[in-house]
Amino acid sequence: MRKVAVTGIGIVSPVGNTASEAFDNLMEGKSGVGRITADFAKQLSTTLAAEVSLNMSDHFSLKQLRHFDRTTQLALLASEQAWGDSGITLSDEERESSGVYIGTGLGGAVSIEEVSYQLFKKEALRISPLSVTKIMCNASASHISMRYGLRGPCLTFSTACSSSAIAIGEAYRLIKAGLADVIVAGGTESLITYASMKAWESLGVLALEDEDAPAASCKPFSKDRTGFVLGESSAMVFLEEMEKAKKRGATIYGEVVGYGSTADACHITGPSLDGQVRAIRQALAEASLGTDAIDYINAHGTATSVNDVIETQAIKTTFGGLAYSIPISSTKSMHGHLMGAAGAVEFVITLLSIRNKAIPPTAHLKIPDPECDLDYVPNIGRTGLNVRTAMTNSFAFGGTNAVLIVRKV
Amino acid sequence: MTTYEKIKKLFVDSLGLNEEALKPEATLDSLGLDSLDRIEFMFVLEDEFKIKIPDREVKITTIQDMVDAIDRLIVEQHAV
Repeated sequence: MRKVAVTGIGIVSPVGNTASEAFDNLMEGKSGVGRITADFAKQLSTTLAAEVSLNMSDHFSLKQLRHFDRTTQLALLASEQAWGDSGITLSDEERESSGVYIGTGLGGAVSIEEVSYQLFKKEALRISPLSVTKIMCNASASHISMRYGLRGPCLTFSTACSSSAIAIGEAYRLIKAGLADVIVAGGTESLITYASMKAWESLGVLALEDEDAPAASCKPFSKDRTGFVLGESSAMVFLEEMEKAKKRGATIYGEVVGYGSTADACHITGPSLDGQVRAIRQALAEASLGTDAIDYINAHGTATSVNDVIETQAIKTTFGGLAYSIPISSTKSMHGHLMGAAGAVEFVITLLSIRNKAIPPTAHLKIPDPECDLDYVPNIGRTGLNVRTAMTNSFAFGGTNAVLIVRKV
Repeated sequence: MTTYEKIKKLFVDSLGLNEEALKPEATLDSLGLDSLDRIEFMFVLEDEFKIKIPDREVKITTIQDMVDAIDRLIVEQHAV
């Protein structure tokens, strides 16, 4: 039976622009949420976002900046980290069977907005020929494949908030099935734009601003939670067939052992207990693990009133009485809801919980909710823990659920 | 400013090219312009010189070709 190792990780996020920086900040409960500084903020009722602070012209040439949407810029930075971290050298033949699996929700959202602005507001009669290639959802995957010459399957998954968890899960299964040995997998998203913020605002799922501490506005599992804060990010992992990774002496962050993928088939935004429970059970079954094997759960934990209750019920339904003794945290409290990148960022955090023997907290959880009565690691991270096996949940609008399980090697 | 000088400035400002590489005999290929860059740059030229560049002009190979084509199009299209 072929196994799948994670041998490289990369993160560009509101809480740090390397995986270790992001994890350290999360452990300290540092939030990446702040007020949007762009002009359009004055037309929003919710002005919070979790943005990446990087000067892109330090990392890309003028030509590259014209060719890549911000989503792709983030993706290239994260994949560069993961690639470098893996320390791999691939032969030309090996590149032929190496793939790229990326998740993104909206693709080139910033570019869509720029083009719309030119057409509707500035009444431009034509727009840049680069518009299509910046906006298309598969642009990031394509640019990664081009940069590293990876000529196997190059796919993009778009299942809203679970996009990149799905991408990693599908990549894992492809390697396990013997159809590829190496895949760069992950997700990317950058949608802090006027139109996108307005659209999310209309749905009524965005956190109300905490007047005393805006950075603490997202409060998963807390009685006073009001929703999530939109964020932008990219995270990439280098997935590799285990024997190959061992043979070359690669650093192995963990082994992907289980993946669950289910659809709710009931409501376009509302979560389904049944869909979530089946996804968790599927992942456990694939990993041949019992309910006593999970040492940590990185929750979907969006801080909407409905999600946190249903997710709590799903964990209780699956794990029974054991649910009360599993540490669960929602790091979205600090890095925001990263949409298409969320699953990948949280997957990397889950891996690092094993490697660092540490569990980041659910920040801003001050008021217990009787309907959310599990151990959510409130406010203070835990260290010195032997995390052997950990799970991460991603439950999306549209009803696509993804659960990934990783194990210490 | 001559047409050549204007084109040189547009290359630097809009595509971020190195001014020293922009000799009249330099080919667009040697400057690393792919097909998408070329279309975009044609738009930039049209806006700058207030001309319409017909599709057949895409055969432009060097910067000098570009200067000649633009000078000709200005005469043709701005003559009343």
